[in-house]
Amino acid sequence: MKGWRTVGASIAAITGFLVGFTALLSLLLGDNPALFGDDPQAEALAQNLALPGAALLRLLVIMLALSIVIGIANLLLLHARRMAGGRLMSGILLASFAAAIGWRILLPGEVSLLEAIQLPIESALAALLCLTLVAGGARILTKRSDIWGLLLVLVVVVVLLGSLPFPELAPIAAFSDWLMRIPAQAGARAILLGIALGSVVVGARALLGQDRSLRG
Amino acid sequence: METTTQQVLSLLLVFATIVLVFAARILQARAGSRRKLRSIPAFERIPNWGSQAIEADSPLHLAFGSASIGEDNTTTALANAELFQRIIANNSAGDSPPTLSTSAPTTIPLASATVAAAWTGADGARNLHWYPQGKRALGYAAGISAVIGEDAPAAHILAGSFGMELGLILDSAGCNRQGSLAVSDQLEGQAVAFAMADEALIGEELFIAPAYVADASRLPAAAIVMDIWRALLMILVAAALVMGIAGQLPWLSWQLLALVALVALVLGVILWTLRRRRAEA
Repeated sequence: MKGWRTVGASIAAITGFLVGFTALLSLLLGDNPALFGDDPQAEALAQNLALPGAALLRLLVIMLALSIVIGIANLLLLHARRMAGGRLMSGILLASFAAAIGWRILLPGEVSLLEAIQLPIESALAALLCLTLVAGGARILTKRSDIWGLLLVLVVVVVLLGSLPFPELAPIAAFSDWLMRIPAQAGARAILLGIALGSVVVGARALLGQDRSLRG
Repeated sequence: METTTQQVLSLLLVFATIVLVFAARILQARAGSRRKLRSIPAFERIPNWGSQAIEADSPLHLAFGSASIGEDNTTTALANAELFQRIIANNSAGDSPPTLSTSAPTTIPLASATVAAAWTGADGARNLHWYPQGKRALGYAAGISAVIGEDAPAAHILAGSFGMELGLILDSAGCNRQGSLAVSDQLEGQAVAFAMADEALIGEELFIAPAYVADASRLPAAAIVMDIWRALLMILVAAALVMGIAGQLPWLSWQLLALVALVALVLGVILWTLRRRRAEA
């Protein structure tokens, strides 16, 4: 059993390596005739190089569509099981699912249940989110009673004051604008650069078959 | 930048990373050269939450958010899967399989395989929730809030791709007195995580998280490569800054810069040696 698992993991790693490298080279280098210098066939060669990448992307689109079917099956099975266990919310979810499908079939020209119910609910949630974030910000000093928590609260207060439409607060508005343009942008770029580096390293590990999620 | 130059530089970056991953792995495997990871307090809470979950017979909630295979956050999904696999394996002595949630359909097979590979009990993937929404999914947050109420997880490890909706999930967790660790590859989600979660990771810490959760010889190699790239990036940014300033200061010469760099290097080596000796002592 263990032997078969090792073979399966090796096949998965080799397939991942081959497909990954093909896609990487094709997507990075494809469609650029300048790479082939003065070769009269440069245009055709560049297009040929881009072909595997394009084919793999098309395959990905098909898999994405298939994954939605898997998702729906998972959703229905999970909540059917939970409903059988006496979970009321799962029953409501399944009833809503059936109602949305039925509505679409029986009243094809009408406003869908999604537009009529879910969008207003999401708008209400968005409004609630605003209050939640303010409450969360207010609680920060109880969770992070250090210099960084204090600094965060101070910055929030300065930015909020700076956004008020009073001419007396113009210096605070200018300071708030500077905070958002320079330190906040610098911090955001640093975080994004870190994430980009992390992505490259994880991508390299995936290509080398070192990623456990690919090896199973 | 010209397209060809851009392509060549991208390829160089990828190949250099691959070589570094290999080299770091080989060096790491050699006896006596194992590198200790710097301490991150957030990771120290995870074993406690795992023990609480086993004792209380309640699940851990592990959330991918909108991290998905085939989109720009594929690597986030892969890093999450590895982290979750290790957390599940460490806590598979319990009776309650973990609750996993995602809003991306392509992550469902990944999450299912993650549980199957790590959970030793039966029917591990029975609590895999998919709430069909895209990025910044308020519907996803609402669905998870319902799960928080019904399943009562011991703690939430929200590591993936989240937007502002993370605030609703963390607020729900806080109201139910459940622990939370959060990190997001989106800036809005990261800000909310820092402000509202019990423990927060920042940016690239998500990608080296598996190294902290399990003691595996190969994983710190990724952390080493990240550190190398980060140091190179800092040197490049500093050099660009100095060159920018140099254009405005007539007294600044290359000789002076070389001298300052040499002094900084010597000081760095002395400090590093002192620190190492103190650690050994």
